[in-house]
Amino acid sequence: MMDPMPRALRALSWITGVLFAVALYMVLFYAPREAVMGDVQRVFYFHVSAGWVGALAFLTTAVCGVLYLVKADHKYDQIALASVEIGIIFTLANIISGSIWARPVWNTWWTWDPRLVTATVMELIYLAYVMLRQGIEDPDRRARFGAVYGIVGFVSVPITFLSIRIFRTIHPVVIGNNDPTAQGAFDMTPQMLQAFMFSLFTFTVLYVTLLWHRIRLQRLAERVEMLKMKVMSA
Amino acid sequence: MLLQQGPAATTGYMILGFIVILGLITGLIVSMVVRRRNLDRDLDLLDDLDKQAEK
Repeated sequence: MMDPMPRALRALSWITGVLFAVALYMVLFYAPREAVMGDVQRVFYFHVSAGWVGALAFLTTAVCGVLYLVKADHKYDQIALASVEIGIIFTLANIISGSIWARPVWNTWWTWDPRLVTATVMELIYLAYVMLRQGIEDPDRRARFGAVYGIVGFVSVPITFLSIRIFRTIHPVVIGNNDPTAQGAFDMTPQMLQAFMFSLFTFTVLYVTLLWHRIRLQRLAERVEMLKMKVMSA
Repeated sequence: MLLQQGPAATTGYMILGFIVILGLITGLIVSMVVRRRNLDRDLDLLDDLDKQAEK
């Protein structure tokens, strides 16, 4: 008994595909080549958007954690777990693409800069969330643990965001003033800004689409697990 | 990059960056599709077993 995909989700998936193709076009062909860094600067549009999705996904997990603790509704645990998985992938994309950008601009793949360190610690915190959850058998205890961990772990997200604004860093600041020691900063032309905003919008829609699919997958997995228990006990 | 004439030749790094980002997103989508397919198969099998047990 397969669960058919809702029409709205099917439509959203197609819209997301079209938006992504347009975003890719804007980033590669519409936005001009940056005068100093050259083509590698184009990675910036998806690099920041991926970081944004990571933060948004972990925020969703924290909010769902609070909602689960208040309402004890299992659906919030499903959403929290689904969101963390997406957040981990996009944060990883953010970190690796940043490292690739840094090689020609900073002349190194990696440096122990506050932003790079805080982003990596954040990623590890959420990797631990998934691993630790798997070690808890009781679903209620697992959900309670996930809720509290999701709320406490979220502290790492504003720290990562603010790290380039609080600490002395070489990482450029997109919104706000750059540290004088920042390397790789640039002024955005109107086309660059449009490509950037469109990428942010597209990645946000992509996140919603992926989250919806992932929640459905989680529900199906739990349904299979319940049926397995029923068959085994029969 | 201070004394360079024109933009730096960094196209290779750009391609690598996009391969990583698009590769990870594609990997996530493929993993979800595969998991979904496996779960649908498990569900069909378990449904059959459940019906047999009820008979």
